[in-house]
Parts: sequence; C-alpha cells; structure tokens
Amino acid sequence: MKRAWLIGPAAAVVLLIALPFIGNNYILRIATSMLMYVALASSWNYIGGFAGYPSFATAAFFGLGAYAGGILQFKGVPMVAAWLIAGVIVTAFASAVGRAILRLRGHYFAIASLVIADVLREVINGMTGVTGGGMGLNVPVMKIDVTTQARLFYAAMLAVAVLAVVTSALLDRSRIGFGLRCIEQNEDVALRLGVHTARYKTIAFALSSIYPALAGAVYASWVSYIDPAEAFDVLFSIKPIIMALLGGAGTVAGPIVGAFIFQAMEELVWRNFLSVHLGLLGLIVVLLILFLPQGLLRHRLLRPRMRPLLVKAP
Amino acid sequence: MLYLQVLVNGVLLGGLYSCIAVGFSLVWGVLNIINILHGSLIILGAYAAYFAFTLLGINPFFFVPLAGLLLFLLGYGLQAGVINRVMGASVLITLTLTFGLNLILENAMILAFKADYRKVVLDPPLGLIEIGTAILPRDRLYAMVLALILVAALYVLLRTTRIGRAIVAVRMDRDAAALMGVNVERIYAVTFGIGAFMAGAAGSLMSVMFPISPLTSVTFLGKAFVICVLGGLGSIPGVMVGGIMLGILESFGALWLGPDYSTTIAFVLLLVLLMFRPTGIMGKRGFD
Amino acid sequence: MTLSPAALLRLLSRFAFALTLVGASMTAAGQGTILIGAPLPLTGGLAPEGLKLQRGYDLWAEEVNKTGGISVGNAKMPVKMVYYDYQSNTPRAVQLAEKLITDDKVNFLFSPFGSGATKAASAVSEKYGVPTIAPTASSVEVYDQHYKNLFGTYTPNSTLTEPIAELVRKNAPQVARVAILARNDLYPLALAEEFERSAKARGLNVVYFEKYAIGTLDHASAITQMRAAKPDWIIATGYINDMVLVRKQMSDQNLRAPVVTMINGPAYQEFIDATGALANNVTTASWWHPAARYTSKDVFKSSENFTNLFRTTYKVEPDFTSAGAAVAGAVLQMAIETAGTLDRDKVRSALRDGKFATFFGTIAFGPEGYANSYTPPVLQIQGGKPVVLVPADIKMADFRLGV
Repeated sequence: MKRAWLIGPAAAVVLLIALPFIGNNYILRIATSMLMYVALASSWNYIGGFAGYPSFATAAFFGLGAYAGGILQFKGVPMVAAWLIAGVIVTAFASAVGRAILRLRGHYFAIASLVIADVLREVINGMTGVTGGGMGLNVPVMKIDVTTQARLFYAAMLAVAVLAVVTSALLDRSRIGFGLRCIEQNEDVALRLGVHTARYKTIAFALSSIYPALAGAVYASWVSYIDPAEAFDVLFSIKPIIMALLGGAGTVAGPIVGAFIFQAMEELVWRNFLSVHLGLLGLIVVLLILFLPQGLLRHRLLRPRMRPLLVKAP
Repeated sequence: MLYLQVLVNGVLLGGLYSCIAVGFSLVWGVLNIINILHGSLIILGAYAAYFAFTLLGINPFFFVPLAGLLLFLLGYGLQAGVINRVMGASVLITLTLTFGLNLILENAMILAFKADYRKVVLDPPLGLIEIGTAILPRDRLYAMVLALILVAALYVLLRTTRIGRAIVAVRMDRDAAALMGVNVERIYAVTFGIGAFMAGAAGSLMSVMFPISPLTSVTFLGKAFVICVLGGLGSIPGVMVGGIMLGILESFGALWLGPDYSTTIAFVLLLVLLMFRPTGIMGKRGFD
Repeated sequence: MTLSPAALLRLLSRFAFALTLVGASMTAAGQGTILIGAPLPLTGGLAPEGLKLQRGYDLWAEEVNKTGGISVGNAKMPVKMVYYDYQSNTPRAVQLAEKLITDDKVNFLFSPFGSGATKAASAVSEKYGVPTIAPTASSVEVYDQHYKNLFGTYTPNSTLTEPIAELVRKNAPQVARVAILARNDLYPLALAEEFERSAKARGLNVVYFEKYAIGTLDHASAITQMRAAKPDWIIATGYINDMVLVRKQMSDQNLRAPVVTMINGPAYQEFIDATGALANNVTTASWWHPAARYTSKDVFKSSENFTNLFRTTYKVEPDFTSAGAAVAGAVLQMAIETAGTLDRDKVRSALRDGKFATFFGTIAFGPEGYANSYTPPVLQIQGGKPVVLVPADIKMADFRLGV
C-alpha cells in the first residue's frame, strides 16, 4: 500500500494520453490551454517558488517566444524547428537580462521583471515591417483538417508541459534546487555558506524562460494570429503565479494542481458569467491570498498525506 | 520654437504626473506595498468628477477635494479591512492581493460605467494662452498648477501636522514609532487613505483633459512606477522632479522617436535605472 | 486504498470541466432557424461602432423575419442573430468566433469590427469552413491569406484615398505639404499608407508621417510636431474616439490647415456632436451615405427605403457602418436564396459568383474576396452636416477650404 498515492496521478496520466481519442475539438482546446498553463506555472516555480524571487517576466518570455516562433514560420521555417529556435533565442535573452536584474531584490526585482514585457511589447509594436506592429502577425495556417490540428497542438503542449514538470522534479532533487531553497530562506547567509547565489539564480531564471517560450511559440501557431498587446498580456505573468500559489509554491505538484483547478474555475466562470469574469477571478485571488497563502498542497488538513509529493517539507 | 512647445507640453503634463505618482509613492514608502489599485483609484476619481459634472454641474476643478475625500474613505476602508491582513508578508503576497483587488474594482467599474470613453466637456471651453511661440491650453495649465499645489500641500502636511510626523516616523522605523505610542495600524490605514485621496484628486483633474475609461487605468500605474523610481522613494520633492522629468522625457521622446514610442522610453529608462541606480535621481530619504 | 489529495484534486478538476462541457453541448439550434453569429465590441474603445453594427444586423433580421424568413428551397426559415461582446479586445473576438461555431453551432458568421479583428477571426472561419461576411474590412492586407471563406463588402482603401487626393489637387492646387498621423492598427495604418501613395503620386510632399499607439489619449506631441512642419493638408486616421480627440487637441494647440481629412469619424453624427463647430470643413470618405439612391433586389428594395426604415426605428440617420452591417445580412440572404440550401459549400459558391444589387450599391466579390464594384462617396462637413462631394451623380455641394 505504500504506492497507493500513485494511483491518482496514474489515472490522470492515462486520461491525458487518451484525451485526443475520446474528446472533441472543444475539449481538446480547453485541455491544450490547461497544459499550457501547467508549463507556465511550473516554470515560474523555478524562480518564484524555489528561489523566492517574485518574477513577473513570464509574459515577456511567452510573448517573445510567440513572436520569434511566429516570425520564423512566416519566413518559411518549418513549424517545429521554429518552436525550438524560438526557445533558444528566448533563453539566451533571459540569461542576459537575468544577469542584470537578478541583483535587485523584492519589489525592485518584481517591477523590473514586469517592465521587460512592456518594453518588448512596445519595441515589437514599433517594428511594423517585421512583426506587423499593431496590425498583428498572421502565422500560416496548416493545411490539415481541424481535428488533426487540434490533436497536434494538444500533443505539442502536452510535451512542453511534461518537460516543464520533469525539469521541476529534477531541479527539486538537485544541488541547484537545494541552493535555490537556501537563497529563498536567506540569501545573505546562503552566500556566506558558499552557495553560488548569482549563478544559481541566473540558471533558475533562464530555466524559467524556456518552457514559456516554447509554449508561446506553440500558442502562436495554434491560434494563427498574435498581436503585441495580446502576446505580452500581463495576465500571462499573473495567472501562473496564482496557479502556483493556489497549489503550493515551491512544490513540484503544486503548480500542476493549481493550474488545473484554476482553469476549471475560470472556464466555468467565463462560460456563465462573462461580464463579471474578471471580477470573480479577482475575488478568487483575494480569497486565496487571505485564506490559503501556502497553497492547497500545504494546507494543514492535507499536510500529513502530502509527504510523498513534497520532497522538501517547508 | 518647436523645442519650446515640446518642453511646455512636457512640463504641463509633468505637474499632473506628480500628483498621480505621489499617492503611490507614499503607500510604497510607508506600507511597503505596491498598490496595483492605484490606477483604478485615479479612474474612479475621474468618474466621480464626471458624474458630479454631468449630473450636478460641479466643475471638476472645484470637485477635486471632494473626489479626494471620497477616495480617502474607500482607501482607508480597503486598507483597514483587507490589506491590513497581509502587512509584513512577502512582496509576492501583497502584490498579488492588490492585483486581485484591482481586478474586482475594474470589473465593478466596467459594469457600472461601461467601458466606453466618457469626456467632460466644459462649455464654454477654457481656451488657450499664448506665450511667445508656445501655446498653453488653459485646462492643462490649471490642472498642472492645482496638481503641484496638492503635492506641496501633502509635503507640508507630512512636515508640520502630528499625523504627518507619525507617518514619517512609521516610515523610518515602525517599531520605534510603535514604542513611541503611535498606533501603527491606524497610520497604515490613514496613509493608504491619503494615497487614495491624491489618486482621486488627480483623477478629477484629469477628467477635463482626457477621456475616461476603466481600460486606461494600467497606463497610469506604469507612469507612477517610473516616477517613483526616477525620483526615489520616500521623497516628495523627488516625486515632483520625477513627474516633471517624465513629462519632459515623454514629450521629447515623442519628438525624436515618434509618438508611438513615448511610453517605451519611460519603460526603458525605468529598466536602466533599476539596473544601475534603483534609489533614483534624488535617492532614498525620509519624507522630509 | 485512498487517493492522495493531489490526485483527488486533479480528478475533481477534471470532473468540473467535464460538467462544463455538458453545459456546452446543451445549446443547440432550434429546428428551422438560421443562426448567424456576430462577435461585437459592445463595450470598450470601439463600443460606438459595435452598437452601429448591431443596429444594422437587427434591422435586417427584423425585416427578413417580417416576410417569414429567408427562402431556403421551398421553405422559409426565420433568422436569429447570436451576439457576444468581445470588449474591443481582438483575441477575445477570435475566441468568441470559435465559440459561436463550435458551441452555438451558427450556420454563418459576420466578422468582428474592423480590419484587424476581421483578419484575426478569419483564420477561425477558414479552419472550420464557415462562410463569413466582413462588413467593415477594407484593407487588402486582410485578404492576403487567400482564404476561401471571407467575403468583404467594403472596397479597398485606395478607393477612398484616390478620390480625395484628386479633389484636393483640382480644387486646392496650392496644397503642397502633407502631414499624416495614423493609428497603429491594421486599417488606419493601411489607409494612411494608401494616402501617402495617393499624395506622392500627385507630386505632393509628405512632410510628416507618424503612428500613435492604440489607446493614446494625449496627441499633444504629434500635434506640436505637425504644427512645426507647417502642413497644408492634414490627414488623420483612426476610429471615432481617436478622431474626436485629435480634432479637439488640434484646436488646443491652434493647429489649422487649408485641408483636413479624418477617417473614420466625421461621417458619424457622434463626431459632429462631440466636436461641434470644430467639425466644419473636415473632409472624410465612407462606403455609403444616406444620400445614395440605389434601387435593389434585396429585402430593403432601395437605399431610400432603408434610410427611412432605419430613421423610423432608431430615430437617427443611418451611417455607413450600420448600413454595412445590414447589407452583409442582405447579401447573405440573397446568396442563400440563390443556393437554395444552407449547405456551406453551396452558399460559399453563391457568394463567390454572385452579383448582388443591394441598397448599398452593386456588390460583387472579387477573386481575393473583397468587393470593388461601387464608388464610395467623399464627404465634407458643412454647416454641421455631412454633404457629398463625390460621386457627381449624388453631389450635394462644392469643396470648401480652411479648417
């Protein structure tokens, strides 16, 4: 019975694999979106949860990935290659920027990370010749039928999400992960104890950019049209944070659980309460912060049974 | 001639920007909270002025203190009721909380007022003043002057009144202030209220110049950030300087790079400052 | 054997979303009704335009249903419009277009407002093969994807800029310097570029050309620069809220010129109401005007009839946006009646091959999907009212200089 806790996740995995064959296009669309946020939330967790640096840069990475992937495809690069190249470009960008802003702490770091997306958005808005500027970018639509497309993008997003989660698990158990947790507890002490804080932070920050970039590139191909305001929407930074907080920041499973639950709530709200949808989301966030700041997985009631999923108890 | 007008445009707007940012700076400096609600509070003040004008015929310039008062009550209530519970929590927590509250406020405004643009149209229009080759629209001139007066008034308040000194004390050392008998929680609420007051006042001033819509709140928030970092937290003269600097920067930026880049300049400057001099041009000082 | 809480939570969330899907499948079309989907910007910066579109659609739907509906083969089927508000936010428009197709199961679609959103949503229509009529998309860039399902009723932007440029050259030959300010958005920017082309083709000197960001509230910098460039002809493009702001702020800085052209804005009564005396002598162009005098084979029978009907129902003059919406309906109706069926492929062919005599003018969709089969009128505000300058057969007054 020691492995009993595996049944739930196993069932979930089976469902994930079977979905393209049992679900219709609409279900696949929702699922693809959910997986995208799993990737985003898990990625944020590396820098925000493990290291405790409140990064709002997810939207910057996502948007840049979307545009890089979109523009490459527009120029004729095959889709999957475009995605991968976009991932590389954004990671390089994140490493460079990270070196500059990771010296900041607290509020200043948060703002700096937030502003990156704004700057990128304005720059892209201005480069009308290359990006279409305010007119948006049309990514070539694939000449295959809708159902196959839906399955294809689902599979792609699933792959990105899985990679993000696996990276999270590996990071969690690794020396870097341990170092990040030390940084989160007390950075100055960690430094004095010999932890390579600057290097680890930069690695975490760069890692936190890969999967959002890939997700952004896939997203651009999926929706076939992006414009700067949409691709760099601050909600792409905020929602993953909320999801990670909801599930439990700093845990591997937290962002996954948070992403699914938050998205299910959002879908229900969006469908039925379109006009108050944002307000209700805000309310959920407020309630979350006030009453569940540690997240679901760390809540007192659930804690005793959570041990297997929490490698490092807080 | 062109440069003079560009400079004038910048300064006129800069005065208003100072008023927009000072409330935000106060809350950040004293409560250590980045108030994402700030932009929406400004818009709410603008709506209050708009309705006071269209329904009651009150000139928005005269409505400024009333708009401020209404927003003060709202701000005080919000802090005492909700935000107070997360005082001292991590940046992530406080930021996310104010973000959530902002979503609620924005949605409420969209529902109540619709997202369409409203505009206060003064009849007869205020006209313009020509000084040499420069043209100063009267509405912007009055708004700038009033804005600067309000900011100066706040400065005086913090220096001379008891409650002002208490706020500064809490800002400098919370525990010491508590030991001296200051009711820290009440000061927090009052400070947040004052921040909201300034936001409401700024909104009222703005309603004459620009169309109002809940969708524009995020722009003001961005400007408030930049001004705070430019001028340095915790300094009212810093906010004034920062506001006017931003106005001038945007104006010249529009001239040299095109109007669509004027906001980019502000953000790039913000990033550069954050990387190299986060304490801003004026540096971090107490509110004195 | 107990499930770990994380897994439990996960399963619960799947259950939750399975429930939402059950809810989704419950909205099916009533038997014998034709459902037409139209995402609209009912709130937000484009709300004025969204409302106009809605009025046009509603008026058409009402007229059609008065006659029993659209003739499909031997039966008559009533029409039902399905609206969603995308809050002037393009990605939401695209999402809602998809929702209308997959969830609400509409038979056909009308595009959201404006070239940008139309282009974005057209990808969805193409994916699902749903014939879509675009009532407000004039930029050729919208149609460069070679989609088969998009049909645009507006003639391209050059049909607006050429007549105005010609008018300026003939009536104001002293005009030499041109300043252009464009909203950084698909249609306004494309239109501005067309204006640049038309001006340069006539030897005019474009001394200023800048873009402003969507949602800009303060045009002071741009206006200051234009003033310094001393233009004879000022051209501003954007949507109605932008145009009102620009015109007002121009007067704030005392910016005047012999010729001022603004598109889209002055053709709407709202612009005239908001700017008052400032609107006089501003020129504009649109794709239709109540002064038009076409007789038609559609449900309205003639331009005059449409105008009267609109006036009686809504107590205001119809403008080209509302008319455009109504004619989208009229054209769709005629195509369905020609095809004799609701089958999407047959209706698509009917749309592609048809030549429709409507109250808006003759509409025939070219090979790229947009119409180029009628002459859009050029207007000028004189004495607080829009008067037609071009084409000659409905001309109401002469061109005036000086703004």
